Amino acid sequence: MAGFLYMPNLTTVKPSAPNTGSLTYTIVVRCGADQQSQALSAFCFTKELLLQGHQVIRVFFYQQGVYLASGLKVMPQDETNLTTLWQQLSIDHDLELGVCIAAALQAGVVDQQEANRYELRGDNLAARFTLVGLGQLAAASAECDRLVSFGG
Amino acid sequence: MACLMTLRSTPYGLQAAKESLDVTLVLAAFEQSPGILFIDDGVLQLLPPSHLPSSYKHIGKILCALEMYDIHQLWVEQQSLEQFGLLATDLSQTVTVIDRSKVASLYTQYDQHLVF
Repeated sequence: MAGFLYMPNLTTVKPSAPNTGSLTYTIVVRCGADQQSQALSAFCFTKELLLQGHQVIRVFFYQQGVYLASGLKVMPQDETNLTTLWQQLSIDHDLELGVCIAAALQAGVVDQQEANRYELRGDNLAARFTLVGLGQLAAASAECDRLVSFGG
Repeated sequence: MACLMTLRSTPYGLQAAKESLDVTLVLAAFEQSPGILFIDDGVLQLLPPSHLPSSYKHIGKILCALEMYDIHQLWVEQQSLEQFGLLATDLSQTVTVIDRSKVASLYTQYDQHLVF
């Protein structure tokens, strides 16, 4: 957390301000919970976009970012569970959370369908997240005004 | 919507190099004509497979696919090559060597950037 001085309020939901110059964004999250300040920045940036009335076509989780889609994390009481924050943001703003399926499978993040396909013991993809192909990143990047990537 | 991929990751030990090339191929498949700038440790991705222990799964096969995907804009930063004592002729792909001072103007030619 070194260097992360400004701690915004993570839970309040302000009504969207009318925004005439609104843009469409695609967000790429490539950092996991072990890079807390970067991963937190991705969340805060996305949340602020939505609160300011911009559109986010899709948040795409790739590389280490796929770990944020695991629903089997328990954080110490004084630490932030980014997975639940993303879930709530997704519910509040009908935000699409896409997770790269190839990276997720290698990281042990699977939904029920993949768990059945590979005969795994269980599934752990958190609610509101969906496993998608890299094509969903390409499609969103073609469609958006701004592509913003976090981590790496 | 052209995207410049800036690849800074070593091909050794990490998945990052493979993952960044995967994104590049998919962007190309979606006809977004990506270019690639190899810089810092990223220039090592262009070493031919013979420089690597055979136990590594080399990304050379993906690099060979770049041409098939119509990815022809391959840039390598001069100073990064020099740092490793490499010449453009040592590399597995035909690349355009670009001086560090020209990188900023290269960036302005693209609409989007992904840095891996």
